[in-house]
Amino acid sequence: MDNSIKVTKETKNKIRVEFERTPLKERLKAKFGTSYFYLNVLWYAFRLVLLIGISYVVLYPFISKIASSFMSQSDFVDSTVRLIPKNFTLDIYKAIFVELNYMEAFVNTFLLSIISALIQTFACLLIAYGFAKFKFKGNGILFILVMLTMIVPHQTLKLSMLLHFKNFDIFGIMGGLSKLGILPASFADGIKLTNTFWPLVILSAGGIAFKNGLYIFMLRQFFRGVPDELEESAYVDGSGVYRTFLQIIIPLSIPMMITVFLFAFSWQWTDNFYTVLFFPGREVRLWPHLTFQIPPSLKTDYAGASLLNTAIYNTCGMMIIAPLIVMYLFCQKFLVQGIERSGIVG
Amino acid sequence: MTNTANVTNAAPKKRRRAASLDRRKARAGWVFVLPFVLGFVIIYLPIIFNSIRLSFFELESMPGGALAETFVGFANYNEALFVNPDFVSTLIAGLGRLAFDIPAIVIFSLFMAVLLNQKMVGRAAFRAIFFIPVILSTGIMASIDQGNILASYGEEGVSGGQSHSASSQIVSMLDVEVLFDQMKVGREIVGYVIGIVNSIYDIVNRSGVQMLIFLAGLQSISPAIYESCQIEGASAWETFWKITLPMISPMILVNAIYTVIDSFTAGSNTVMRFIEQEYSTKQGVISTAMAWMYFILVILIVAVVALILGRFVFYQRRD
Repeated sequence: MDNSIKVTKETKNKIRVEFERTPLKERLKAKFGTSYFYLNVLWYAFRLVLLIGISYVVLYPFISKIASSFMSQSDFVDSTVRLIPKNFTLDIYKAIFVELNYMEAFVNTFLLSIISALIQTFACLLIAYGFAKFKFKGNGILFILVMLTMIVPHQTLKLSMLLHFKNFDIFGIMGGLSKLGILPASFADGIKLTNTFWPLVILSAGGIAFKNGLYIFMLRQFFRGVPDELEESAYVDGSGVYRTFLQIIIPLSIPMMITVFLFAFSWQWTDNFYTVLFFPGREVRLWPHLTFQIPPSLKTDYAGASLLNTAIYNTCGMMIIAPLIVMYLFCQKFLVQGIERSGIVG
Repeated sequence: MTNTANVTNAAPKKRRRAASLDRRKARAGWVFVLPFVLGFVIIYLPIIFNSIRLSFFELESMPGGALAETFVGFANYNEALFVNPDFVSTLIAGLGRLAFDIPAIVIFSLFMAVLLNQKMVGRAAFRAIFFIPVILSTGIMASIDQGNILASYGEEGVSGGQSHSASSQIVSMLDVEVLFDQMKVGREIVGYVIGIVNSIYDIVNRSGVQMLIFLAGLQSISPAIYESCQIEGASAWETFWKITLPMISPMILVNAIYTVIDSFTAGSNTVMRFIEQEYSTKQGVISTAMAWMYFILVILIVAVVALILGRFVFYQRRD
């Protein structure tokens, strides 16, 4: 090899090297014939198969639910029909839309989710900022309490939560005031807040609603990553704590706020613990009043009835989460990036 | 703090200003966390105390919707523990399930996070698909899915959505056993792996948030460390065990605790469902007593998990 390389000096700064190139066959062999290359290919294939397989596991329930929602009644007893319906029909959708009053529940849930998600986002933002950036006595203990609200199972508090909001009162102050004649007599036993949005609004405002501990934790970690110098320079320039928060911190944390808002919105949207608990009546129609209901026009007692019923429940579920899916398609970047940016690692 | 103290001795004039700024900031901190303090004191504490109090009472519905309370001491706890035939066995079964679930979910989500962190074609699409369960498989959807499982017992549902019935298990114990028998790894491990594969749907659904947390952790590891490893000639395998795992170990602790809490408080948990059932059939007081015992158990387990894993956690010293 060494002999075949010829180096000639052309000019002062230029040399010319002549050598015999390795034949194509050998070059290809060196590139594709090694065990390193085969291992890499094997790994790529394995990874792809694994990822596609698990994606299938995630997506299959949705696909099969969507497929069965278009099936007609005869398809459910036909054993040759698996995923693709033979007689395409929109009966189930129509029935749920009209007979179960889909739109009313949609509007109510939308309002409830928007309101409580907005309040939760702002409340958690304030609380998390306080925890992350200010040293005060009790900071650590208070944060442990935040974690505690996350650990206590809901079921533990179910009964007393219901009783609390059925006769809502703040340490008996309202009852006392009404006995003194300052407030109307109807307040004597507290205010009945069930079947209104108030319980969820109040819980959200206090940062003790569903999974708010997680949001506070996420936001706190995010604020910890924001350099203190930013605020200090604002203080030096004469801006107060609150003005700094409004004009510097909030614009800075808008992506994180969107992340938290999306979580809060979608978890409130599919929630069936608080909504069932606080809306026992039928005055405010929400999603739980739609699930596990069979529209009157679809009630049958033929052989495939149980399959049909399952399909109806599933269709109802798909209709409930359809708006979320649309939202997710547009916003999933925020979810992933938000968590990454929060740097939960600390 | 020591800094300000030094300043105070030197120049008494400055002292008041420094202290007042500190105090002002402390006050501002209180103002920021005020929503939580108010919510906790006004709403949450009364609810918790009432819940504990109620677990020592018997409730009776009075005409007109009011509830009559009679103090019964530990009778509710007694009944839950010794009279009710199912509570203790459900609890033990639930704990066994948890011992199975936590390692499975943590290992699976770590593995998937490592995969999703690599550069490849379609990474964004895969990520989007993997995080669907975080948003969609909660609350109402979970309850509908449970309804499906109940409905698909005994019949191979076309529309069942999931392959939960015994006939459609992905891996049968027998096939794999023959394979693993020659490898001499022991029946327990084989059974465990098969259990994971067969409940893969459940595990994927429940490891979304954990995957996100691991992914965030992986991305915070400095690429310079990997680079120097590569230069020193470490293989990918060695890099994972010597670099990735120690660096991600704080996240393993966080995720293990999160998984314990999440699976304990999830509606799909068998103990939770049992308590829920008790709540709807009886006046709800025994279920409160059960739930409190359950909660104490959760706290104990979280403490044990934190203690065990805490010994293995490696914290990178920051300077």
